[in-house]
Amino acid sequence: MAVARRGLVLSVLAMLALSGVYVLALSHTPIEARQGLAQKIFYLHVPAAWSALLAFSLVGICGALYLWLHDPRLDRFGAASAEVGVAFGAVMLTTGPIWAKPIWGTWWTWDARLTLTLFLFFLFVGYLALRAALHDPGERARFSAVVGILGLLLVPFIHLSVYLFRTLHPQPIVLKPSKPSLPPEMLRTLLVSFVVFTLLYLGLVMLRYGLALIEEAAEEARDG
Amino acid sequence: MADVPQNGGYMIAAYIVTPVILVGYLVGLWLRVKKAGGS
Repeated sequence: MAVARRGLVLSVLAMLALSGVYVLALSHTPIEARQGLAQKIFYLHVPAAWSALLAFSLVGICGALYLWLHDPRLDRFGAASAEVGVAFGAVMLTTGPIWAKPIWGTWWTWDARLTLTLFLFFLFVGYLALRAALHDPGERARFSAVVGILGLLLVPFIHLSVYLFRTLHPQPIVLKPSKPSLPPEMLRTLLVSFVVFTLLYLGLVMLRYGLALIEEAAEEARDG
Repeated sequence: MADVPQNGGYMIAAYIVTPVILVGYLVGLWLRVKKAGGS
């Protein structure tokens, strides 16, 4: 319960900090001349994508470590990270089309970055369905570890897809070999948003991890 | 300034949908904790 409560407190604080990101984005960043106000979706879409990819990557890393060490905490963390990643993925996949419509003239296009991202999202929805369908804890942990590792393999392709394929999606402006190509006010707001979304990810994972602990304790009490 | 596209409605939609998803998930998680026996 303590983990869940700490996760709740951190999540609520991060949500309050998100309102600070809104203030920064709306009143302390310039309006981009070609994209207008729609460009400000960037301060939510990019950090949400970062949190989703961080979450899915950690599921794969925990899966690989679980297959090696057989530590149930790794499986529990992987499950928590996958569920939180799907929530951030939902934010990424809704704010993306809302931004795309006024800029590209279409809600969606089947280019490499968007298609791979959608596949990754569906893969982790499948991961959660798989976990719900399997009742043996060892079997559930092994099978979901393998699916998590497969998801992790997709992440670098998604990051590099804008270089490897012809795509409408813009290339990275922060996570790239050269210096970030953004005016200082925009970069500052984006970095604050990255921190807030990362804290929110941590808070939600702690809360979800705490829920798993409570459910396992209740299950043991029922069985034993 | 006259050439800047007037598309603030899209920004407002994205700025509403983000907390709706995240707060909705947070509340759902907390209700699951309560239901599972956490006080």
